[in-house]
This record gives sequence, C-alpha cells and structure tokens, in this order.
Amino acid sequence: MKVGTELPVWEVGSVSAEKMKTTAALLADPTPIHFDVDAVRALGMGDRPVNQGPLNMGYVMNAVTAWAGGPDRLRRLRVRFRGPVFAGDRVRVRGTVTAVREEDGVRLADCDVALEVDGGEPAVTGTATVVLP
Amino acid sequence: MAFSEEELAAQVGRRFPGGTYTIEPWRAWLVADAVLAEPPPVQKAAGEVAHPLFAWIAATGAMGIGWDELFSWFGATAADGPVFGEHETTLHRPLRIGATYRVSGRVVSAERKVGRRTGPFDVVGYELDLHLDPDGTHVARCWNSIVFPRRTT
Repeated sequence: MKVGTELPVWEVGSVSAEKMKTTAALLADPTPIHFDVDAVRALGMGDRPVNQGPLNMGYVMNAVTAWAGGPDRLRRLRVRFRGPVFAGDRVRVRGTVTAVREEDGVRLADCDVALEVDGGEPAVTGTATVVLP
Repeated sequence: MAFSEEELAAQVGRRFPGGTYTIEPWRAWLVADAVLAEPPPVQKAAGEVAHPLFAWIAATGAMGIGWDELFSWFGATAADGPVFGEHETTLHRPLRIGATYRVSGRVVSAERKVGRRTGPFDVVGYELDLHLDPDGTHVARCWNSIVFPRRTT
C-alpha cells in the first residue's frame, strides 16, 4: 500500500432504468427525469432517463469500500457531480491512493476517485478516505 | 426572474424540521440492490453494517420535509430540473441496519451564478447531522448542494 496505488476498477456494464425507478420510489424523489422520458426530452437532455446522483455516488462508495475491505471502512467521501449518467451508459469507477496516514491509531488512505462514462467526461469526481485493515 | 436573490439569501439559516429514520432491513436490501452492492439477507440483516449511502438517504429521508417542499423554499419544482451539485459524507461510525437515527440540519449557503452555457442558476448548500437515537451519539454529517436552473427571465 503506497501513494499512487490504483484501486481495482469497478464497472457497470449498462446503467439500468429499472433501478432508477426503484430508487425514485425508495427516496420518494419526484424528479421526473429519473423515470419519465418525456420530462427528459422537455429539458433538452435527450431521450434516456437520468441516473440519480446518489446512485452515481453509491457506485463510488462500492468501489472504495470493496477495495478497503467492507462497507464499514468509509470515513469520508466528497464528490462533485459533473455531468449526467444516462440509462444504458457503461460507467466505471477509478481511484488512486494519494496519501496513507495514521489518525488516532487508525491507518487511513486518502484517494482521488472518479466515475467515468464510456466515451464521455467523468460524471463524478472527488476524494475518499477509508480505514485500512 | 421569479425568485429574487433577496428571497434566495433569506433562506440561509433556515432549519429543517428534522425527524427520525430507521434503516429497515427490507429497505437496506432494496437500496443495496439498486446501487449494485451485495444486498444483506433480510432475515439476518439487523445489526449488520448498512450501505454508506444510507447516511445521505437517512439524512434527507428524515429532514422533515419532502423534496417538493424543499424545492419550493427556493421557488422551484421538480419539473425545473434541480440537480445535485456536490456532496460530502463524513461517517464517525458505520450505520447499522435496524438502528434509528435522529436528523437535524439547516440551509448553510445560497448563491446565484450565471454560466456561459447554462445561463443563471442558484447553488444552495445544506447540512444534515445524524445522531443515534436515543443515546445521541453523533454518527454522521452530510453536506449537500443543489443546483436550481433558472431558465425563465
């Protein structure tokens, strides 16, 4: 474990419109761009539903916690939502260790993280801190 | 513009009514499935670590108002296409399935900007804290920003 270590790539082959519908219901999120294609068109955003920001963020959490050893490992995640992810997109999370340090007797790793869209710009960028085993 | 900068600025400091949120096993399963993580077996999930996305879900789920009402604080509706700007989750300890969390928070910033491509938009920041209920241990803080497009003039 050292600065510059790359996290294993975490990938979604095709972002699911059905998961967006479940998520809209779970979150009681009325924003129609996540399930109503007509609403997406009306905003000039194309003809595919737009993935929820929390799902994009959740993919990043999956990547860093899978690498660190489990969902209890995340200490901090800060992300900027830079662009949309649409149903059918192929996306992947990449991460790079930027620091390894100790705080109150706990080993921590800071990482730069990004959710990349195949053929497009990163949809999410940010930093994460995880507890190391 | 229908919603003035003065009205926008006046929302800073406004507190959320707050509430409590319990991470029910069935919800933990569905959230994990939706986010493409490993769902915890529903019958044995109580006490297990919840997906860290629950910090945000619990915070916003028990802020005491719905999304439509939050958007209305800023003169907007869901149909205007509000989107996430930034987010920060700080976890002091893992969230647990079956546990109940008390949520409190407030609007911490609001600013009008103009983008060359996007035109005018407002960026609103708000912050929510999760405390374990009933013992009061501070478990997590979520800071978020929402971007409100202002397409009308």
